[in-house]
Amino acid sequence: MAKSQKSIFIKAGILTAIIFGLGIVLGYTLESGRISEIEEEYKKVEIEWADAKLQSLYYQNVPAEYCKASIDENLRFADKVYQQGIRLEKYDNANKITEKFKLEKQKYALLKTEFLLNSISLKEKCSADYVNLVYFYKDEPNIEEKSAQRVQSVVLEEIKSMFGPDMMLIPLSIDIDISIINIIKSSYNITKTPTLIIEDKKFEGVISKEKILQEICPLYKEEIDACKGY
Amino acid sequence: METLVIIYLIFIFVSMYLTILLIMLYLKNHKTLFHDKEPEKLRFLTVTIPAYNEEKHIADTIRAIQSVDYPKELMEIIVINDGSTDNTLKEIKKFNGITIINKKNTGKADSMNQALKIARGEFFVTTDADSFPNRDAFSKMVGYFNDPGVGAVTGAIISKDSSKLFVKMQSIEYFIMAFARKLFDYVDSVHVTPGPLSMYRTEVIRKLGGFDTSNITEDIEIGWKLMKHGYKNRMCLSARVYTNVPIKLKSWWNQRLRWNIGGFQTLYKYRKVLFNVKESTLGLFVAPRFLIAYVLSIIGFFIFLYLIAARIKAEIISATMAAGSGVPQLALHELNITPTVFTFFIILFLIFTLAYTITGLRTMNKGKLGVRGHIVTVFAYLLLYLVLFPPVLLHSIYIMATKGVRWYK
Repeated sequence: MAKSQKSIFIKAGILTAIIFGLGIVLGYTLESGRISEIEEEYKKVEIEWADAKLQSLYYQNVPAEYCKASIDENLRFADKVYQQGIRLEKYDNANKITEKFKLEKQKYALLKTEFLLNSISLKEKCSADYVNLVYFYKDEPNIEEKSAQRVQSVVLEEIKSMFGPDMMLIPLSIDIDISIINIIKSSYNITKTPTLIIEDKKFEGVISKEKILQEICPLYKEEIDACKGY
Repeated sequence: METLVIIYLIFIFVSMYLTILLIMLYLKNHKTLFHDKEPEKLRFLTVTIPAYNEEKHIADTIRAIQSVDYPKELMEIIVINDGSTDNTLKEIKKFNGITIINKKNTGKADSMNQALKIARGEFFVTTDADSFPNRDAFSKMVGYFNDPGVGAVTGAIISKDSSKLFVKMQSIEYFIMAFARKLFDYVDSVHVTPGPLSMYRTEVIRKLGGFDTSNITEDIEIGWKLMKHGYKNRMCLSARVYTNVPIKLKSWWNQRLRWNIGGFQTLYKYRKVLFNVKESTLGLFVAPRFLIAYVLSIIGFFIFLYLIAARIKAEIISATMAAGSGVPQLALHELNITPTVFTFFIILFLIFTLAYTITGLRTMNKGKLGVRGHIVTVFAYLLLYLVLFPPVLLHSIYIMATKGVRWYK
């Protein structure tokens, strides 16, 4: 075959490699951008959380103000961390070239755990009228677990939208390799997902909206709109 | 990086390379696609028509060949009745000025070899009994033999017009195959000399032992044989032959089984040329392209099946649980698609493929798409028709592994 013909194979290969390479670079840039975005958000959340904890310390000297301010901060945090978790999961599924968001997920898991423990303590100290609902899921589920978790997430989203700030919904991944979460997992003997802990009561598998409402509504001291009829 | 991601990227790279290669060949050579060479001298042709149970079409085929604009004194027609059980022989006998070989049913390759034994022509033309060459097909092809290195010339096989969507999609496929074959001609990579219309140097194919009777796609095998022995196969886009294509899925399926099995046979027979630098384009492009296409199709199909099965299972489980939990099956945020690296590649690949397909169709049809239903048919071809290929390929492998080789008609 003449050299001029052979050269077109090589030129096509080079052009393909260039376009392919550009695609990979674009993908890498896109994914790195998402990681940077999550990292930036985390830094902000971390600062806000530190700020909230210091406020809490300050308000301990002013008991009348302590509970109200602390509960308000807690509720604000609950929503923020929950939304960040959804975004993190979405980006994590989309990223194909760079390493998964493991480090970022671990950082948020720690933050959520600290938040959970604070929420439990705050509720006891201030006799606050909200319910702590912890949702345990797997980060790398099999097909059955993934389907069940997907359905449970939809149920909890609906519940959360009904209760708004009157409920602390804290999702925690049990296979993310964090010791404190492993300790909590052991203490509740969590062996499968999804599992819900409503205050101290454990529910395994997918729990319907009806069932959740039946469990949490009696826990409120004052009647709230979302619980009318339960 | 996950294994599946790596496989996807390999797929993308290989597919992109082939498409870019074809586009580059087109950009470099589009002005000469229909430039045919004037023959230094008109040569004597032997035109052969092997026929098995073709009573419906054989007469039209003979008439079409007798009507070509090639000098009749420089042509002989040999029709081989390959043990037909219908009225094919009766139809053939209605014609004068042709040589008839009446034999037992031993297959197309053997039929052509019988004709080859008595052929007087310097060039040996093959055509199918249900194919109708254009008037100027032969005269357009002969000029390519001015180059003594050319062993065979083939023409553009076009499907006869139809309003049926399935036939229209095959019509697109045939146009694109002819177009691609012409582009590959520029890099000496015409890998097949299809039965409906091909012209060979008689002495060359005699010397090489004729057509392989053990291969059910002797037209692929002879093409590779010629390349293996240093001859070039050329593609004459101006030489057209119209052929009937299967109108039902079952007949189409059997046809493609035959093509695949024949392709495997040929690949196996010439396996030693694979990646062999000494074998030039046969070893470095034609044979590897065949092999890679087969491998990627099979892997791709299984991955597709796995993903679909996993998705269906997940959806069934979710639907059952969602019904019991009093919530909708699908939440709104799940409809929000986050772009991935594959989004870019898929869009790019679709653009390239669509551009190539439309360019091919417009080239073959003088600036028009050439299929009724136009762009809708093109999308149907790209999204529906092409997905039939992996299952038929798997079926071919299964047949070869379990039942051996039969003639699939």
